[in-house]
Amino acid sequence: MKQILVIAEIFAGQIRPITWELVTAARKIKNSPGLKQLSPTIQIIVPADNPALLSEKIAKQTGIDVIGLQIPELKNYTSEIYIYCLEQLIKKIDPSHVLAAHTSQGQDFAPGLALGLNAVAISGVNGIRSDENGLIYSRPVFNNTRNQMLRPASNRPVTLTLMPGTFKPDERKDGEPGRVDIRKIPFAPAVCGKEHIQHCRTVKKIFEDQTLEEAKVIIAAGRGIKEKEELKSILKFAQCFPTAAVGASRPLVDMNWLGYQHQIGITGATVAPKLYIACGISGSSQHLAGIKDAEFVVSINKNPQAPIFRHSDVCIIADIIEFIGTFLKKQEI
Amino acid sequence: MKILVCIKQVGSEGEVNRFDAHALEEALDLKDRFETQLSESVTVDVVTVGPVEAARIIKRAFGMGADTGYHIVAEDPEYVSPFVTATRLASAAKKRPYDLILTGIMSTDMMTGQTGPMLAKIMGLPCATAVIKTNLPTNDNLIEVERELENGFRDCLKIRMPAVLTIQAGINTPRYPRLSKMLAAGQKEIKTFKETDIFPEPIEEREIYIGLALPEKTRSGRVLEGSLPDKAEQLLALLKEKDLI
Repeated sequence: MKQILVIAEIFAGQIRPITWELVTAARKIKNSPGLKQLSPTIQIIVPADNPALLSEKIAKQTGIDVIGLQIPELKNYTSEIYIYCLEQLIKKIDPSHVLAAHTSQGQDFAPGLALGLNAVAISGVNGIRSDENGLIYSRPVFNNTRNQMLRPASNRPVTLTLMPGTFKPDERKDGEPGRVDIRKIPFAPAVCGKEHIQHCRTVKKIFEDQTLEEAKVIIAAGRGIKEKEELKSILKFAQCFPTAAVGASRPLVDMNWLGYQHQIGITGATVAPKLYIACGISGSSQHLAGIKDAEFVVSINKNPQAPIFRHSDVCIIADIIEFIGTFLKKQEI
Repeated sequence: MKILVCIKQVGSEGEVNRFDAHALEEALDLKDRFETQLSESVTVDVVTVGPVEAARIIKRAFGMGADTGYHIVAEDPEYVSPFVTATRLASAAKKRPYDLILTGIMSTDMMTGQTGPMLAKIMGLPCATAVIKTNLPTNDNLIEVERELENGFRDCLKIRMPAVLTIQAGINTPRYPRLSKMLAAGQKEIKTFKETDIFPEPIEEREIYIGLALPEKTRSGRVLEGSLPDKAEQLLALLKEKDLI
């Protein structure tokens, strides 16, 4: 009987909600036509220095059995500790699948873990389906404009990192909680008794203001803006609305055209306005994940292939500067 | 100190993957800082795996200031397993005792983000992904870096070299190649290897490529038709109707 393993995402002693999405995906794999008759079981691995409480919480929430992976040295996440200890644990289980989050943490340790397990490694999975030959995984490619479909080439274990927001968490289960099994695997650095990666501290960039998170209307600029000067046009557009905040996609902030407090996406602010207008934003996965709770999304982009159009309520194919100019004239009338 | 930067050619115009350009800039910037502050010489080498034409991104890297270029020539089908790429890169990375191996956080075409951390694992080196800041290495071979997490968080790490770092955009602004260096680059030799010479047996692909599809729609995506003024008018009406303007 094969196991489907889920690696819970723990950050600063807390369970990250993506963990529940991973469980949904694990259930989907378990119930897929090819695997169903093998009746695989799901287990959730919870790595922590003291995993008992977190494990119980997860077992209660999901009704699934949990392995609390106790690593006394794990005060803070490092890829070195994760890969070393998870590899030891998972090798003994010999699972069919290992699921982790496609987050800064999952992307950091999963590829190394996959090689350690001699596994197939598919990252950024945003869809799972099956045909007569088994499971097919899709993942974004070419700046998010296409999905690539892959399947494992052999019977090796498959490690997947799943794109946040792809699989909806299942409803909370009232039934029996899963069992919790605590297993201790100390981290023993191989060379000269010293670890290679030492976590010094975690810092947070402070937002200068919180306007984006609370804004009802957000006008956001992307790379369709070719010069810093053109941002004036975006500001004028924003002034058409009673209270609108100006946002930006990551590249503009990377170029220092706008401050970090304007950045929208997983690495910036996650927003939920009534109206979101994406001005010349193509729509990277990390940006789209940051706006998925917006009520109404309007996108203006001159490229009809821009990925953001597939995630918009209203699409306007036009040059952003020309469009704003025309819109301002119309509004004056 | 010796630094290796792994770069990839992407896109229809065959440009350097933009994250790799940030990785190369960071290597050159470390070299500048190192040589100014510690007056110790630093070499920056680059390596790429790709078709014959990919040699041009090595020339561009010379123009930016790279010292030696390795080109593993491989004509590949549409899909190459990141494991295969990492195995090929490892063959070049083992040529000299590199203290640091840098690459982009991912390529803009395949977007796996796996090549760097897999290369580290093959070579038995520590790895940090999404690096957004580097400090100069200290005498005890530790380099302090910051890696980017979600929602404005960053982890500060001290990593024992040799190590692999994957570089996130926003860490720097890549320099333009200098004409004088580009001209000098013409004289520089690219060390070219045939994939089949290094790996007589093909490396086993771990995934089978099925094809491409359009991403699923998550919203209705109503397209406004007509001339520019028509579109502007329709949007204005729509926003008024929803009481948003």
